[in-house]
Amino acid sequence: MSRQHESTVLFDALGPKGRRNSNIASIISAVVILGVLAYVASVLAGEGFFEQSRWVNPLDALVVKTTWIPAILDTLTAFALGAILALVLGVVFGFGRISRFGLTRWASTAYVQFFRALPLILLIWISFTIDGYFGFTSETLGWSSDARRLTFLVLGLGIYNGAVLAEILRAGVAALPPGQAMAGYAVGLSHGQVQRLIVLPQVLRNMLPAVLAQLVILLKDTSLGYVITYPELLHSANIIGRDYSNSFLQALVIAAFIYFVLAYALSKLVVLAERRLRKKTAAPAARVHQIEQAAVIAE
Amino acid sequence: MFDNFDLMVAALGRGAWTTVWVTLSSYTIALVIGTILVIMHVSPALPARWAANAYTQLFRNIPLLAVLFIMYFGLPKVGIVADNWVWALLGLGMYTGAFVGETLRSGINSIPLGQAEAARSVGLTFGQSLGTVILPQAVRAVIPPLGSLLIALVKNSALVLAIGVAELTAQSRRLIEDNESRFDLWGVVIGVTVSYLLIAFILSYLVRLIERRTAFVR
Repeated sequence: MSRQHESTVLFDALGPKGRRNSNIASIISAVVILGVLAYVASVLAGEGFFEQSRWVNPLDALVVKTTWIPAILDTLTAFALGAILALVLGVVFGFGRISRFGLTRWASTAYVQFFRALPLILLIWISFTIDGYFGFTSETLGWSSDARRLTFLVLGLGIYNGAVLAEILRAGVAALPPGQAMAGYAVGLSHGQVQRLIVLPQVLRNMLPAVLAQLVILLKDTSLGYVITYPELLHSANIIGRDYSNSFLQALVIAAFIYFVLAYALSKLVVLAERRLRKKTAAPAARVHQIEQAAVIAE
Repeated sequence: MFDNFDLMVAALGRGAWTTVWVTLSSYTIALVIGTILVIMHVSPALPARWAANAYTQLFRNIPLLAVLFIMYFGLPKVGIVADNWVWALLGLGMYTGAFVGETLRSGINSIPLGQAEAARSVGLTFGQSLGTVILPQAVRAVIPPLGSLLIALVKNSALVLAIGVAELTAQSRRLIEDNESRFDLWGVVIGVTVSYLLIAFILSYLVRLIERRTAFVR
């Protein structure tokens, strides 16, 4: 609100006439937006979108217990395992890219560039398909088919997002003023100690918002488990939609809503972390923010 | 290792072509939607800002695959029917549009207030300061992140295979699951990988070219 009365890059502080104009613009845009929403709602209502039975059936207590709750748990399991794997790979290869050893640097760069260029859906599905070609199948290893699906989903999520996180962490190291490491060497710390005691803690703290934002993407990407029929939310919504074919759209909307709630909660955590961790390290806040923006967008 | 090499190249080539045109067309849609969103975001009308914010939050927090499913499998249930490639372009475009809008907004926010104040104090009108001071700087600031959005869209476009559009990933899947198994698994894997790397490489080269063209010394 107060924003209207102070200068921004685009608008000078509004005077009485400008304020009147902006009020008129507010009213007009409100009418237009409400009109569009009302039209969409009336079209949907005309097709029976809001009919009670269509919402009650997929939200039946039995369906919730046997399908929705296990689906949420399976989604969160894949997310948690994928996030852990991605974080481990991200730290290993992020610091591998700035290693003193040429071979480590080369291998880490190859890993990051290769896996960042491929679609995640291809990684998950190809690794799932290739399985049998190595001569040992999951059956010979004694896995259940569900465990096998989870494994390949987590591997895909972890390997792909690990490559992205490695880039984020490397950008974080680059943003840290070189004086930090130099000061470490000056008081006689070894290379490993400098990295472990001075660089890594500050980089993790600086880049936490960007890392969490990437984890939101990882959470959304668990929906790709659909292609290997892992029983996550979207897959379960499809099954419910098949049982109650009148409620197919409703089941998908409910699944999308659950994703929204989970991802939104996680991204609120990002804002919280951002606020708490600002100004605690040597990197200038503006620079970090710039990198975050780039990293969030880079997906 | 490359059994039926010519057939494989033909199939992957068709897929790569589909991937490229799906990517470029949906990116155009995304640019249009992103521009509308950023205009709503910076406008003095409060409801417009709310609507833009709601759109952005919605598409940022729902998986792309769910968006595509709702459009292609869900909307026919309420009488809205269209071909799968229409939903592919619209879904990818609307989803990426939210991210484009955020990028453009951070581009405008990246310009220091002093620039606008200087423009106003030498007597430039709103249009002049926007056209000669603010936008030229903002556009340069957003080209690299818009470029990475384009590369991300190449990868995201693989998801439209779920609604039956035969792009690169779908083609490689068809080759591997070929009934007469005429194609070698590793040949197809290498082929599809190389195709994606090539597309990403060419597009990022073009982005860098534009970046260099528009670069200026601050």
